[in-house]
Amino acid sequence: MSEYVLMLIFLPLIFAVTVLFNSLRIRNIATYLFVSFLVIISLKLFFTTEIIELNFNHLVHLVFLVLDFILLGYFVYQGVKYKDKLISLFAIVQIALFIVFLQFSSTILSNDIVVDRISRVMLLVINIIGGVIILYSLKYIQSEEFKACKKNLFISILFFFIGVMNLIVTTNNIEIFFLAFEFTTLCSYILIRFRNDELSIQNARKALWMNQIGGIAILLSLLSGIYYYDTIYFDTLIQNINGLFLLPISLLVLAAFVKGASIPFDKWLLGAMVAPTPVSAILHSATMVKIAPYLILKIAPAFSPTISLAVMIFGTFVFMTASLLALGKDFFKEILGLSTIALLALMMSIAALGTPEAINICLILIVFHAISKALLFLQAGVLEKVYHLKYLQDIDYLVSRSKLIVFFIVIGFASLTLPPFGAFIGKFASIELIASLINTNIFYILPLVFILIGSVFLTLLYFKVLTKLIAQDNKVYEKISIDLTYIVTSFILVGLLCFGIYVSYLYNFMTHLEILLATVLILTTFVMLFFVNFKNIKKVSAYNCGEKDTIKLSAYYFEVSDKYKELIFYISLFLIGLIVYMGMI
Amino acid sequence: MEYLQILFAPIFGGLIYGVERVVRARMQNRIGPPILQPFYDMYKLFGKEPFMVNNYHIVFALMHLLTLWIAVGLIILGENFLYVIFIHLLSSIFLVLAGYSVNSTYSHIGSNRELLSIVAYEPILILVAVGFYILNSSFDIDIIRAHSSQISLLFLLFLAFLLVIPIKLKKSPFDAAEAHQEIVGGIEVEFSGVFFEIVYMAKWIEYIFIYSILLLFAGDSFLYGSLLFFGVFLIVNLVDNSTARIKIENLLQITLTLGLLLGIVNLVFIGIGV
Repeated sequence: MSEYVLMLIFLPLIFAVTVLFNSLRIRNIATYLFVSFLVIISLKLFFTTEIIELNFNHLVHLVFLVLDFILLGYFVYQGVKYKDKLISLFAIVQIALFIVFLQFSSTILSNDIVVDRISRVMLLVINIIGGVIILYSLKYIQSEEFKACKKNLFISILFFFIGVMNLIVTTNNIEIFFLAFEFTTLCSYILIRFRNDELSIQNARKALWMNQIGGIAILLSLLSGIYYYDTIYFDTLIQNINGLFLLPISLLVLAAFVKGASIPFDKWLLGAMVAPTPVSAILHSATMVKIAPYLILKIAPAFSPTISLAVMIFGTFVFMTASLLALGKDFFKEILGLSTIALLALMMSIAALGTPEAINICLILIVFHAISKALLFLQAGVLEKVYHLKYLQDIDYLVSRSKLIVFFIVIGFASLTLPPFGAFIGKFASIELIASLINTNIFYILPLVFILIGSVFLTLLYFKVLTKLIAQDNKVYEKISIDLTYIVTSFILVGLLCFGIYVSYLYNFMTHLEILLATVLILTTFVMLFFVNFKNIKKVSAYNCGEKDTIKLSAYYFEVSDKYKELIFYISLFLIGLIVYMGMI
Repeated sequence: MEYLQILFAPIFGGLIYGVERVVRARMQNRIGPPILQPFYDMYKLFGKEPFMVNNYHIVFALMHLLTLWIAVGLIILGENFLYVIFIHLLSSIFLVLAGYSVNSTYSHIGSNRELLSIVAYEPILILVAVGFYILNSSFDIDIIRAHSSQISLLFLLFLAFLLVIPIKLKKSPFDAAEAHQEIVGGIEVEFSGVFFEIVYMAKWIEYIFIYSILLLFAGDSFLYGSLLFFGVFLIVNLVDNSTARIKIENLLQITLTLGLLLGIVNLVFIGIGV
């Protein structure tokens, strides 16, 4: 089985090189083949139950070491090139810390690669959903005005990204984790500045320096791990953990929250919107930000009860406030972006509990959030490319123009809030779980209330967006055909959502009756919407109290004033500082 | 027996609605309509020629009725309280979507306000469910109903729940979502004939929904249950008659501060007490 893991890590790199040099046709066919290959291997791995462990030999470690230096050197170069002091400063700090780290060696050894159940689920998400997004971008990138080789480069970087992600979720060695972490930072940097205009470069730089904070945190965690526990491996660190010295763990939590774009660090993910839409799709669903809940899941067994509670309170606080901030946004992708930040924070707070049930809930949230977000971002891309719509206020009467796109968007939003979809089940089960904890510690009321308020805000957010989408008027619109690639990839994701209902049926978070009932209700609705024609009933136009004025529909916006935005920023900064401080005492 | 109850739930709801209209009229020194007036209306509405604006509008309204009916059915059968709340959320979302699907300002304003009122009451409903969960270690309504009355332990949550009742039943001062004098019924405005009857009937079921949650506070005691029901029924109508409508944003402020605070304080008390 171990060769499958190696294939998942290294083959995407070969794929990345292959698609770089080929003509359009060969590139497309090759990409289809490569993606199906990755999907099959990840499925094969998923259905094995043994824990796979393996070690890299000395040479590979040496290569990794050299790559580390090249990468950090490149960051310094970028910092100098754009005269960005923060980037060069953080990169130099990292180089210094890394050199210090190389002076020490640890004696407690373990395996470089460990693939457990959590890793297998992550591999599945990365390869299947990432693969679908790559297929989508084959078409999408053709409609951009880049040179042919740059278009190939785009696909190539996406493959590389998937390879790096596969490494990050399988490695057990924190040093390799650091390298992969920096590589994802690099990928996001290149992808965000892909358009190479001023705004893109500016936002990419922001992403670069913020993510390097995470890198510094990991290096400090490595150093403190060697100092206190004499090890650089996740599993040995967790086994030997002593409640008095939690610094390595709390620094990793900081790194997770940076990657997860939680509120004090949220600007980089929102800035990433300037890139071509598949970039947002892949950053938000299958890769990058998903490192955050994964890392928390991995280290949660080492949490002390206080740290676990603190992470939970912080996470749910971010969940609530990010949903609140999203209510004032008009840019469709920005709405999706803030809701990603919110849901990631929710996943992290559930993961912080570390019980088997919490792990299951978190995995369910990770998987289904990835599917729903990918689906929604693909539609955002279609709206931009086919209908030239970016802002909510322009999206009038979309349902009269394309029922299908509205169907996908409605499914996407409904799957995040309503029964019987996976993300809902995750939320439902987490409310149940936290409610059962209140008896043991009264402070769990705080996360509970944050989750309740946050999730109604999200419901409000998603359905207020639909105001303008599903309103019908009687005008006849010119039919615009949507490319088959867009439709097929979206249908694959919808299919995965439906399959997910079956999976949650197997896992018993809710009783079978409960899931079946909601499924039947949702299905009936869609069948009636699309297939039932009320022919015998006379159609009239809307009464609207007899008013004859032209109607201009508009959605509600709830802008949070700058004073409160600042307050939210400082509270979350304080909370994350508190968590790191807790590790020190 | 339970299935019969489910089947006749709208009729019970219609009766409560009819009685309520009489009670309200008497409070205003009027005689009021006959108790069976809602059913006479129904008969009349069924006889009318059906008109529709578009099929989404109708489908969503139908699903709203069906889902709400199922939510009530699940309460009667004693299912999971939390799940019932979310099925109820689904039904409210259907109604909101129905309102959105037509090109009409009043309908859209109504839907937007309905959505905001969901934000106002949903957290309180879930806190009530969590309150029961902490006391009974289960969300199952069957188990909650098998215990003796827990209202003394959940009194603050009960008060918070009192805030929810007028929102759901569209009673003053919390009836901004419907507001007949202002936005002519909001979501209802574009429905006519049979389809209006669907939305109308859903309202009756909403009565059953909200009052059967109220009865959970009485536990297994029939006496408490009837006292609670008649007492709250009178209070809600008295308040309805004697207050003016408040804006939707004030409604949000009240429930999200006062309502949540009551709920949280109550949860803290029972959390420490157990």
